[in-house]
Amino acid sequence: MAAAVSTETVNITVNDIELVVPKGELVVEAVKRLGLEIPIFCYHPRLKPVGMCRMCLVEVGFKQPDGTVRKMPKPQAGCTLPVSEGMAVYTDTDAVKRDRKGVLEFLLANHPLDCPICDRGGECPLQNNTLAYGPSTSRFVEMKRHLPKAYPLSQYVTLDLERCIQCGRCVRFTEEISGDSQLAFRFRGASMQPSTFQLTDFESKFSGNVIEICPVGALTSAKYRFRARPWDLQTSPGICTVTPCGTNIWFDHRSGKFVRVNGRTNEGVNEEWTCDRTKFGHDFYNAADRLATPFRRDGEAFNAASWSEASQAVLAAFADGGEGVAVLVSPTLSNESLFMTQRLVRDTFKTNNIDFRPSGGLAWSERLENKYGLDPVGGTIADLEHAGSILVFGASLADEQPMTFLRVRKAWFSHGARVVVAHEVATEADSFADVVLRYNPGSAAVVAAGLRQLLAKVEGKFTPEHVESVSGVPADKLRAAAASLGENGAVVTTRRLAKPAAEILAVAAHETGRTFLHMGPHANTEGAAALGALPDTLPGGVKAETAGLDTKGILDAAAAGKLKALWLVGVDAFSLGDRDLVSRALENVETLVVTDYRPTESAEYASWLLPLALPAEQDGTYTSSERRVQHMGAILQAPGEARAQWQVAQELAARSGAAPVFSTSEVRSLIDSVAPDYASLTMAKVIDGGELLPRRGQSPHDLEKLAQTLGGL
Amino acid sequence: MAERKLLLEHAHDPAYATLDGYLAKGGYAGLKKALAGERQAVIDEIKASGLRGRGGAGFPTWIKWNGITKDKKGPHYLICNADEGEPGTFKDKQLLEQTPFLLVEGMTIAAWATQSDRGYVYIRGEFVDAARALRKAIDQAYAAGYLGKNIQGSGMDFDLYIHLGAGSYECGEESALMSSLMGERGMPRLKFPHVPLPTVAGLWEKPTIINNVETYSCAPFILANGGEEYAKLGASTKNSRGTKLFSVSGHVNKPGNYEIEFGTTLMELLDMAGGMKGGALKACVPGGSSVPIINAEDCGRAVLAYEEMSEVKSMVGSGGCMFLNEHTCIVSFIWRTSLFYANESCGKCTPCREGTKWMEQILRRIVMGNGQPGDVETLKEICSQIDGRSFCGLGDAAAWPVAAALRVFPEEFEFYIKHGRSMVTSGESVAMAPAWQQAVLA
Repeated sequence: MAAAVSTETVNITVNDIELVVPKGELVVEAVKRLGLEIPIFCYHPRLKPVGMCRMCLVEVGFKQPDGTVRKMPKPQAGCTLPVSEGMAVYTDTDAVKRDRKGVLEFLLANHPLDCPICDRGGECPLQNNTLAYGPSTSRFVEMKRHLPKAYPLSQYVTLDLERCIQCGRCVRFTEEISGDSQLAFRFRGASMQPSTFQLTDFESKFSGNVIEICPVGALTSAKYRFRARPWDLQTSPGICTVTPCGTNIWFDHRSGKFVRVNGRTNEGVNEEWTCDRTKFGHDFYNAADRLATPFRRDGEAFNAASWSEASQAVLAAFADGGEGVAVLVSPTLSNESLFMTQRLVRDTFKTNNIDFRPSGGLAWSERLENKYGLDPVGGTIADLEHAGSILVFGASLADEQPMTFLRVRKAWFSHGARVVVAHEVATEADSFADVVLRYNPGSAAVVAAGLRQLLAKVEGKFTPEHVESVSGVPADKLRAAAASLGENGAVVTTRRLAKPAAEILAVAAHETGRTFLHMGPHANTEGAAALGALPDTLPGGVKAETAGLDTKGILDAAAAGKLKALWLVGVDAFSLGDRDLVSRALENVETLVVTDYRPTESAEYASWLLPLALPAEQDGTYTSSERRVQHMGAILQAPGEARAQWQVAQELAARSGAAPVFSTSEVRSLIDSVAPDYASLTMAKVIDGGELLPRRGQSPHDLEKLAQTLGGL
Repeated sequence: MAERKLLLEHAHDPAYATLDGYLAKGGYAGLKKALAGERQAVIDEIKASGLRGRGGAGFPTWIKWNGITKDKKGPHYLICNADEGEPGTFKDKQLLEQTPFLLVEGMTIAAWATQSDRGYVYIRGEFVDAARALRKAIDQAYAAGYLGKNIQGSGMDFDLYIHLGAGSYECGEESALMSSLMGERGMPRLKFPHVPLPTVAGLWEKPTIINNVETYSCAPFILANGGEEYAKLGASTKNSRGTKLFSVSGHVNKPGNYEIEFGTTLMELLDMAGGMKGGALKACVPGGSSVPIINAEDCGRAVLAYEEMSEVKSMVGSGGCMFLNEHTCIVSFIWRTSLFYANESCGKCTPCREGTKWMEQILRRIVMGNGQPGDVETLKEICSQIDGRSFCGLGDAAAWPVAAALRVFPEEFEFYIKHGRSMVTSGESVAMAPAWQQAVLA
């Protein structure tokens, strides 16, 4: 977020080496082109430069007509100075070295130097810069500043005020990136300290990032504090599977145990940020009650059993079960697991009773891609950054799609995009929205229809006045929203938005040439839908000849005693809603098999309890909410005999006579043979930053159906 | 040379603070002349007058005014820096209280020249009386059509607002003042060449002029009498024209504000102030607490003008002239000065935040009798590590007085460190801050 960089170039010299760089580039960035480094603390490439810490002081001069260089009288902060024609930068003179020593001496004067017990020790910019540029001794013999060492900013972030070097990165992050402006400086001079206003809790959905951008060990993770030395940790590239964004993470572990999550740079997805669910929501890897072996119910008790016994029992209950058996799968399983499970269900269990959706969901012919030939996810997160206008409809993005939220906010903050937010309740995005449309619960479709009418400039009954009478959105506001959205841009919503509204938005987006993003709620919702974990859809989106039961149908059938066997894979049925229905369903089913990483509430009803390996314990690919397929290798070893679901499914299939499958790459070949979208991917790209599934780009058809939809509202 | 009163001529007449009294003494003649001519003519007059910024830096005023785009696209702003916080300086306080119409007229002239729509007078929060006096003046000016819409039938609109600061020295720094005025924390902002000048993108990123109270107050005289008339004053100096207010304090018999022509000597100023009290002259801080201290010998040859003062390695600054007599302990004096800067550092940049505190700690230790060999060298190093390295001028202002005292009076520091007590043992010394104030500052 440096100063505006143009395509125009200027000639500068760095340490007398000539260089051509874009005009307006900051000196601190320009010298990197020569492989040089200017030490920094407060500067962060994604935050506005402030020049606070003075670590980046360099000597700057300008070429005079006679060829000599006239140096500016004072050293200049390289992090705030844009390059200009004829500039001569010196990063390595004795004066610069002396200035760096001086700044470091100042910073260390009141720094507690409790490095041996500091979380940051070993990965600390202050340590690194001191080693490279600092003085070897300190002349400071006065009393150091003494301040709270473990001030709890929030339940996740603990602040060590003594270690703080007042660089303001955390303050600027909450102002510029997350936008919640939770942190500010209080007091002044040597007493200045970052703080929340009035010492309230640091309430942010992105608070974990300040821990990572803190250049010292001042902001620490309450969960990770004092738990490890960085050099003892092993780190592996991973993908977050607790959010739908596909956030790239560094998965830090030690002795086979998960320790912490850090953001990993992927410009297309999360840049370098994480949301707090990603950052602090991976503790389940270390759950004390992880299942490590299959269990068989014997009366009231569960007794350990072997996989061989379990496989035989499951097959006995499910094989050729037809309409009498059903499987519910979790949309956080990998593509490979979901694909193999649906194949087992269809080929071996001989049924289409499989679903991943918690409740309801659209039938094949009702889905956008089939009904209208429109892409439900037509754009990418990164595209949003340069969308001129963005309509966020019926979604609390910061909760549902945190990385999309950050990109929408960046589009507004850095590129001046106009944002319109329409939702029943207040959301984080309201704070920067041009227009906020707050509609009555249940009137989303009417508002969407009203907006479509204004945007597509068509006549109809959804005039702003009509919309106002139904939804409570003032007619003027609706008109202002349409005006703000202009001629192009993007429309973002999530699968939580009910059907007619989403459909209308999709059509409106198509009619007005906007990008449309209808984003799913889980780490692999898109993969589950594309690879056939649906009762009426086969892999590749092909319509099944006869539709099976969906989640609701499965539970109803089970409750009515019509199901002989039910298998819950990574799903706790009690999380699906209607607890009464679920408990009747689980009681009335003859054989209940529960596969999960720990005993869930549903497990109490199970006949068999099978241990599930978690995403980081197996090789697999995941399709994020922007339809980006990314890969995560096996980072940890699964506890005991816990297995990945694809392995369980393949073993059952093989026991029934199918050809055995030995690896996830074999599974991926199978996927490629039936799902053309996936066949077009290159594994190298999937591993390196992920690859987007091809956009369908089909020509829309059946738009007249929309008229019926609109008429029926 | 004797006092030469342009601004303070009628200052002691209470009627001068009212519009009628001001008009009776020829007030608003400058504005009438300005409105009758071209906007550029005003800037040309200011250029001819040689007026330089009176806040301390001495930057030529006309360059600022001329830097505002003539092709007006959006609002232009005018700011008056009345956050007079430099220890030893109290000239703006008197101008605001006794000659508020000079400021109002001066700002109106500047607004005309720069096509500004609004002016803000950022007054130090403690200056309640000054703010009240200015409030009365502004109200009267509005009532008589000297502010507001269509000023004196000229078609020019100009609104003037008062903003009271909240007690931070740093907010007298022009960019921090703008931050504060915009409702942000009073911290300095990036400056040229890192970002455009305030005349291009200042307050709310719009073209902005910011000048000191005294600078604006000079404009009515210059417009009424012509820039050349003004430039005749101070002709003996290299490049300082007109008059300057000096706030004389310390061990003098008649402390107060004295308006003198540039080129007057420091000793003449001391004579105006009734000479030394309680002992012979030992040292002088001629331009506010941040400028380098000079010894009696240099006082004898100091000529009060921007360039001339550098010959004695000091500055005119904001004109806060403190004379110290022979019984003053320089070490204690400098400790007290550094305590001020340590307290007022905003905390934004490392050198100032950490360096001012460290200097104060060392000086306090010396004053308490626990000085160590090497302290002087460390202090000198710290000064050089702050000077020119800090984000804004506050760091420089904190380093200069310490560095100068170490240079001019090294023997006092050495004595204090060696013996654990001051060289100066008798007579009237610099008063300590009252006990309650020390408790607050501690």
